[in-house]
Amino acid sequence: MLLMPKASTATEQKLYVDNISAALRDEMRADENVYFMGQDVAEFGGPFNITTGFLEEFGAARIFNTPISESGTVGIAVGSALLGRRPVVEMQFADFVSCGFNQLVNVAAKMYYRMEQPVPLVIRLPAGGGVGAGAFHSQNNEALFAHTPGLKIVAPATAEDAYLLLRAAIRDPNPVLYFEHKYLYRRQKGVTPTFPLGDTTASVTLEAKAAVRRPGADVTIVTYGWMVHRSLEAAETLAAEGIDCEVIDLRVLAPLDTQAILESVEKTSKAVVVHEATITCGIGAEVSALIAEHAIGYLDGPIKRVAYPDQPVPFHKSLEAAALPNPDKIAAAVRAAVEW
Amino acid sequence: MGKAMKDAPQGVLSRAAQLEMHLFMRLAREWDLRFETMYLTGALSKWYSSVGNEGFTVPAATAIEAGDALLTLHRDSGAILRYYLDPDALFPGLLEAPGFPLRKPTTADSHDLLYRLSCQMLGKADGFSGGVERSYHYGHLDEPNGLLHVGMISHLGAMIPVAAGAALGLKQRGTDRVAINFIGDGATSTGDFHEALNMAAVLKLPFILIIENNHYAFSTPTSQQFSCSHLVDRAVGYGIPGVRVNGNDPEESYVALSEAVARARRGDGPTLIEAVVGRLRGHSQGDDSFKQVPPALVEQYQREEPIVTYEATLLERGVCNQTYLDETQARIKSLLIETIDRAQAAPDPDPNHVRPIFADGDAPHA
Repeated sequence: MLLMPKASTATEQKLYVDNISAALRDEMRADENVYFMGQDVAEFGGPFNITTGFLEEFGAARIFNTPISESGTVGIAVGSALLGRRPVVEMQFADFVSCGFNQLVNVAAKMYYRMEQPVPLVIRLPAGGGVGAGAFHSQNNEALFAHTPGLKIVAPATAEDAYLLLRAAIRDPNPVLYFEHKYLYRRQKGVTPTFPLGDTTASVTLEAKAAVRRPGADVTIVTYGWMVHRSLEAAETLAAEGIDCEVIDLRVLAPLDTQAILESVEKTSKAVVVHEATITCGIGAEVSALIAEHAIGYLDGPIKRVAYPDQPVPFHKSLEAAALPNPDKIAAAVRAAVEW
Repeated sequence: MGKAMKDAPQGVLSRAAQLEMHLFMRLAREWDLRFETMYLTGALSKWYSSVGNEGFTVPAATAIEAGDALLTLHRDSGAILRYYLDPDALFPGLLEAPGFPLRKPTTADSHDLLYRLSCQMLGKADGFSGGVERSYHYGHLDEPNGLLHVGMISHLGAMIPVAAGAALGLKQRGTDRVAINFIGDGATSTGDFHEALNMAAVLKLPFILIIENNHYAFSTPTSQQFSCSHLVDRAVGYGIPGVRVNGNDPEESYVALSEAVARARRGDGPTLIEAVVGRLRGHSQGDDSFKQVPPALVEQYQREEPIVTYEATLLERGVCNQTYLDETQARIKSLLIETIDRAQAAPDPDPNHVRPIFADGDAPHA
């Protein structure tokens, strides 16, 4: 299924966080097999109010609180998905998914290979820093899962994608990790797009399709999530200097849209990879390796990476700001690539 | 059953039910002994034995029926064989009457299932996992025939939440179906044991968890695993019933399991069952862990083991005679040898065929 937003008649600008809520509600309305569970999600509506009003609309059988038991919750999701249910689980913060790690990487991820039995489940993971939340409410731990065959990973950067990718993730017959960025919740706005599949119960594969957020001729910036916006900011600065950046938003981190990455690099001959997650063995390492392996003949300079240093997220905003990739760091990396 | 005597049987089960129970216990035992022999002759690289567990695994799967979910470990051949197979199809004429007339059997072809199960044990292409998974690490979901079987992963305890999830899925469908799950005494020390039982209790899931307490986790005795008197005592902490049974006694086990299943079907939530049995084999064939069991205990466990004791009980009650037992054993052996030999001659998996990791056939990006 093509996940690109289609022209929509909607004009009302919605927050990224509201489009997450809308996607969930629309999928629950479209398919009664979809149910939702997580910590504090029912009466309370979750810490980000994403499921406010859901209990009244869908009832306690389809949205319910879980105890603080991430492993138990993911395992229960897997077991019910084996019977054709379509669970969506909220990790209160992406950081806490480590407590459900084994159920994801050893049970959910390997189930189809072992049993040829679909496990259609979605884990929603409020992720990312920039909000002064410290080491255990700010992580970007997607790469921990990208190394595990059998898991799909999406990371919407825009309000439109927050809606499209969540609906597509719920339709997908595989375990999908949906990394939603807390910094973008109330900073990104967009329309609620028309979902190309409509309100059916069809199970349709989520395809890896990256988006070119800014076309350009000189340098390819490959990024995702919050860093799409910081890369676009850097691209504007660089445009004034005469450097024309192409910004690619990966959107789906596993499987990767290899073709989109390579086609752009073949055009620009320069590559910079940007992400908020820590640098070592991050998604950027894989993207860099892909470019080096398949497009080195087109490259005209080293592949640069801009990412978080290998450290936990510090609390004070000055410390966090210093560690985060920002437009200045991205621009510097692009200049270094161009001037090489 | 023409050779069985006509006296009124003692015990909680009818004569027919006792004979059907025994048939599957003996079938499970012979199944294990056959693969143990194959392991010893080098025909099999690894084997985990279910010997000694027949006294509660067979009754547990007898207490459920087609449409219920079964989640097993590697010591539950008795439950799998009982859940999959129709005795009349495999042993025509052996049982005169159905032992459990109200139990809904699977409609799947028993000979085919036994063959595929044999292939699964041997890693053959016709096995349920096509050779990618070892012995009992597979699942077989065939809902039209009432089979919802999910096997283990090696992280013991990890299947308990999955089993609770199967129970949730069945409950959400609005049926009265239940899920049963076996784990060992060792897995009760995992976080998943706690998380899953607690959640199953809170969500009132139709779920039965059976702890197979054979007193050793690999080589570690229970005295080094927990300090409570009995594992079943933990049920109190979850606000659910806990029942401790002599796992060598199939009738006691069956009664406890049937009550737990009935409770789950009524919507009254989960039950924890501790089946206490003896350790009759090591963790796996080929490791030395069995040496940790003191000889006096081994002797006691052998004396108390379920096949020997149940056959003695049946003879004592006059439910059948020794000739019946001998002939039954011979028919089982003959069927197993024929089926497992056929599996051994079956094609190996094709190394050029790569199983997809995603349900829609998506390949990893490389």
